[in-house]
Amino acid sequence: MFLTRSEYDRGVNTFSPEGRLFQVEYAIEAIKLGSTALGIRTDQGVVLAVEKRVTSCLMEPSSLEKITQLDGHVACAFSGLTADARMLVDKARIESQNHWFAYNEPMKVESITQAISNLALKFSEDNEDDDEMSMSRPFGVALLVAGVDKDGARLYHLDPSGTYIHFDAKAIGSGSEGAQTSLQEIYKGDLSMDQITVHALQILKQVMEDKLNSVNVEVVQVQLDGVCKRLTQEQLQTYIEEISK
Amino acid sequence: MLAIREQQSSSDRAQQPISVDLPYPGFQFDLCLRNQYLISKGFKAPIAVKTGTTIAGIVFDGGVVLGADTRATEGEVVADKNCEKIHYLADNMYCCGAGTAADTEKTTDLISSKIRLHSLNTGRQARVQTALRMLKQMLSRYGGYIGAYLVLGGVDCTGAHLYTVHAAGSTDKLPYVSMGSGSLAAMATFETQYKPGMSMEAAKELVSEAIQAGIFNDLGSGSNVDLCVITSRGVDYIRPYKEACSKGVRQGDYSYKQGTTAVLETKVREIKFDVVSVTEHKMEVD
Amino acid sequence: MDFGTGAALPVSKPPLARQFNPYTSNGGTILALSGEDFSLVASDTRLSERFRIHTRDQPKTYKLTDNVVLGCCGFHGDVLTLNKLLAARIKMYKHQHDHEISCSSLAQMLSTILYSRRFFPFYTYNILIGLDEQGKGCVYSFDPVGSYERETYRAGGTGASMLQPLLDNQIGFKHQNIPEQDRPELTADRAIALVRDVFIGAAERDINTGDGLHMQLVTKDGIKTLDRFPLRKD
Repeated sequence: MFLTRSEYDRGVNTFSPEGRLFQVEYAIEAIKLGSTALGIRTDQGVVLAVEKRVTSCLMEPSSLEKITQLDGHVACAFSGLTADARMLVDKARIESQNHWFAYNEPMKVESITQAISNLALKFSEDNEDDDEMSMSRPFGVALLVAGVDKDGARLYHLDPSGTYIHFDAKAIGSGSEGAQTSLQEIYKGDLSMDQITVHALQILKQVMEDKLNSVNVEVVQVQLDGVCKRLTQEQLQTYIEEISK
Repeated sequence: MLAIREQQSSSDRAQQPISVDLPYPGFQFDLCLRNQYLISKGFKAPIAVKTGTTIAGIVFDGGVVLGADTRATEGEVVADKNCEKIHYLADNMYCCGAGTAADTEKTTDLISSKIRLHSLNTGRQARVQTALRMLKQMLSRYGGYIGAYLVLGGVDCTGAHLYTVHAAGSTDKLPYVSMGSGSLAAMATFETQYKPGMSMEAAKELVSEAIQAGIFNDLGSGSNVDLCVITSRGVDYIRPYKEACSKGVRQGDYSYKQGTTAVLETKVREIKFDVVSVTEHKMEVD
Repeated sequence: MDFGTGAALPVSKPPLARQFNPYTSNGGTILALSGEDFSLVASDTRLSERFRIHTRDQPKTYKLTDNVVLGCCGFHGDVLTLNKLLAARIKMYKHQHDHEISCSSLAQMLSTILYSRRFFPFYTYNILIGLDEQGKGCVYSFDPVGSYERETYRAGGTGASMLQPLLDNQIGFKHQNIPEQDRPELTADRAIALVRDVFIGAAERDINTGDGLHMQLVTKDGIKTLDRFPLRKD
């Protein structure tokens, strides 16, 4: 007895006759509703920039945090359901601390991304195995994992299907299509940290609905020495003034 | 015994009449009770050093050959690389010792002196049989607590004899024997190669082989092979008969240059002395 | 208390608790030292139990990666199991992180493995050698429950207490009045000769050490196994 075409998206673990997992694809669609986030990588380091949707003047913008640190040398920006991102970030932090405990060395950025991706498809409707990390649906969040390890500066994009890919520059979220095109236009391998920060803000400015200011944007630079630096409002203001010229 | 009794009864002297017992004749085992009490309270009793050893002997045509290795161990460490395990008993008999080092030495010394007294009193050379009886009577009296395991060999007016003596006092008379931790290795050699009526040279070589089996296969035995050949013509104590394996040759130079030891402090002190003049006098000899 | 009254020894003894002892010592000595651009690990080849020799040909060094070797002795059953576990973990690391594990990470990993058995330890003495990130020789020594530190030379196993003082004197220049700058640099050739000499000494006095000396040298060119050097067999 065949189900009608539209019914294949009911179960999270059911393939459609065309070989598609609709729920996972819907989750990927959900990312496109999220705020825009982008990352640019050069040999000098990585920059992550995220728009903050300040929907009310009564909202405290600093409480909205969309870039977070996973380990000393790795930061991560996300777009989509923030609560889901929390679970993934927790997992990443635990895994990288376990790695440091077991091997006395920082975990590679790719390995951290891999560890998160292992969680991405760990969902099922019947939660028989009492795994507290187990979800009943795919994650509704995409990540940009940026860090520095023995292979240099790295930037990974991870989507709800668990696929992760190394990028020189990548945009996610509602404005990602336009932003990705702009990234391709401006990207050169020999850009400095300053230059990629400027580019990141410029592109964000283009795709954001609200006017870009030092409050509705969040920027983190991961330097080649492995230090993650979150830009202060004053620093952001300087950059914004520069791109307004 | 007496002292303990008095101490013990001091508390209940009022009830009990004071009686002075004469000590019991023979051995006293009072300290055994005390020691058992101390051990039950957690006291660690000292343990005598037992050495791993290979000792062996065979009878050949005209005498006996005794053999021993020369390693003495203290636990896992070699204490003496060339010790003597074939002990003198009398001019016509020797005794190899295994077990507790102090016990084998003291037991053989004691019996040696008893045999000397015996032969002085009788005016004859003591028989091996006599030494054997003295040894087993002494050891059995101590119920095995003297840890001496011996191989006794000698020649007397009745011929060549070879015995083993266990700590408990039991003895065996056999044509080929071995004792100590390497006894199995040595006995394996005898079992495959011993023949009655061997020549002296063949017997020496066989005992040497047996001891070497112990030296190489038993960690408690090592270094050299000592042999003692006893015939009616006399004793040939060969020490060492063979160096089973030689020490490695060091490549480096481990001498120290002068000044290697730091001089921490220098102090020059004058030693006061009086000059005493001495004059020589010639001794008068007439 | 009742002694000295001439009373008979108590006839019935309290019940004896018999316990299974899961450990035995299989002897053996290991030694490691490092120089500017090399490290060296050595072991004797005797495997024994009490007064018996199990084999005269069991080297106690184990190649873990292309430039890390572990010297491991104690209870041979635990030695084998620990090395199996390490080999598996090294492979898992390589597959997970797509590169060979470094010597320092391996040291930390071994430490956590040993400590994971804190209350039923592996009865093993471990010394790890290799090259560090700068290409310098490195030696990590461990106790059976995972305490470890990086050193330049270290002896372990039954003959350790005989070797260590010699190394302290000859490599550490302890009790030698020689200023730091006048101390000669340790070359691989001198290290090899010294290792042979100290093992000759250990074989003289430690009954569990002997038969042969096995040495592995780690340089930037990889691991080289040196010719077997004979030791006393008694």
